[in-house]
Amino acid sequence: MSAWAGSLVMEEGVLSLPEVPVADPLGAIARRIRSGEVDAFGELMALTEQRILGLAWRILGDRELARDAAQETYLRVFRSLESFRLGERFEAWMIRIAVHVCYDLARKRGPRMLPQEALEATAVILEASGAEEAVLQQQRRSLMRQALAGLPQGERTALVLRDLEGLPTDEVARILGVRPVTIRSQVAAARSKIQHHCERLLKRTHGGQP
Amino acid sequence: MTTEHVLEQLPLWIEGDLPDQAAEAVQVHLAACPSCQAAAEQLRTSQLWLKEALEPPFDASDFADLRQKVLGQIRLEQAAPPVRRFAIRPALLAACAALLVIGLAWLQERPHVVAPPLQKPAASPLVAATAIPADPSPPQIQVAQAHSAAVRMRARPREEAKATASAGITRMEFQLPDSNIRIIWLAQATPLPDRNDAPQEAL
Repeated sequence: MSAWAGSLVMEEGVLSLPEVPVADPLGAIARRIRSGEVDAFGELMALTEQRILGLAWRILGDRELARDAAQETYLRVFRSLESFRLGERFEAWMIRIAVHVCYDLARKRGPRMLPQEALEATAVILEASGAEEAVLQQQRRSLMRQALAGLPQGERTALVLRDLEGLPTDEVARILGVRPVTIRSQVAAARSKIQHHCERLLKRTHGGQP
Repeated sequence: MTTEHVLEQLPLWIEGDLPDQAAEAVQVHLAACPSCQAAAEQLRTSQLWLKEALEPPFDASDFADLRQKVLGQIRLEQAAPPVRRFAIRPALLAACAALLVIGLAWLQERPHVVAPPLQKPAASPLVAATAIPADPSPPQIQVAQAHSAAVRMRARPREEAKATASAGITRMEFQLPDSNIRIIWLAQATPLPDRNDAPQEAL
């Protein structure tokens, strides 16, 4: 959404008004829902479902579990709307709920077995010499997902929120309830491990070029 | 800046997480260090692969399904009759528990009096027990007006011993848990039998 508040055309030309921070659009919808307009929750979902479902999948690594997590997240959001403080960014609040839901489901699921496809992709890629680029890309995706799944939960979540969701470090820290220096440390460690994983498994391809 | 130090900083530098001054120092070093350049390139590649690989695999049907389930559940919850939840506040619970404990303690400690045979009481009974000087005539015991039912008092072993030992007036004092109330019982020389019969009716 554009942050420009508008512009004023004068006789001498166009005078642009200074940027005015726009109120949180999701917060406005939340206020409508709290005032009784329950149907507005559908609007809220339409604006956030891609992010919430994608975030859940990135953290959990499983489509079905991600769907369950997203559903539970929205239900918790609806039931606890009264506890949302209007000074906070609404989407950040939702993401915090989603992260906790994912952690709960991951705990119930227990230790996760690495997907078989990823293990097979490891073997194939070591032998690949003339494989199609598309096949290589598919195998590389499996390897990267494997690398992400192998990270400790804290590092994985910090990496997902910072690098994949594109949230600023300070906001990630607020969402996870830790200090920004902790997030920087976690993402640095996660990026190093991911890169090390690529280096080890892709030695026999064409120099690891994308 | 040494190579080792730069290599440590690269994971932060690669996504712009270093402060400006530190980022600039890394940049300067990279311009002159081929090995660090190669390491930075590998990091950049792995980050690109990661973002490419973690594109969510959902489409419009997934989102529609999610919306249908969530909104359906919300409508069910809205249509259901409200459940009255008696949220017992911790303070209220603590107060009730305290009252219960005090009540039980009072039941345990309340005085039990085996009153001696009484003569006709005085016209105006006093509200609280008062001390009466020793008198050979039968003692006048004023019964508290508040206790319309019989009062039973459990005599302490040492008082009983005193009563039996003395040949004259026996004085028995009973201190209630309330320090403001003490019951003094004067009895005749002949000790009374220890009986647990029906309580003396209030007069």
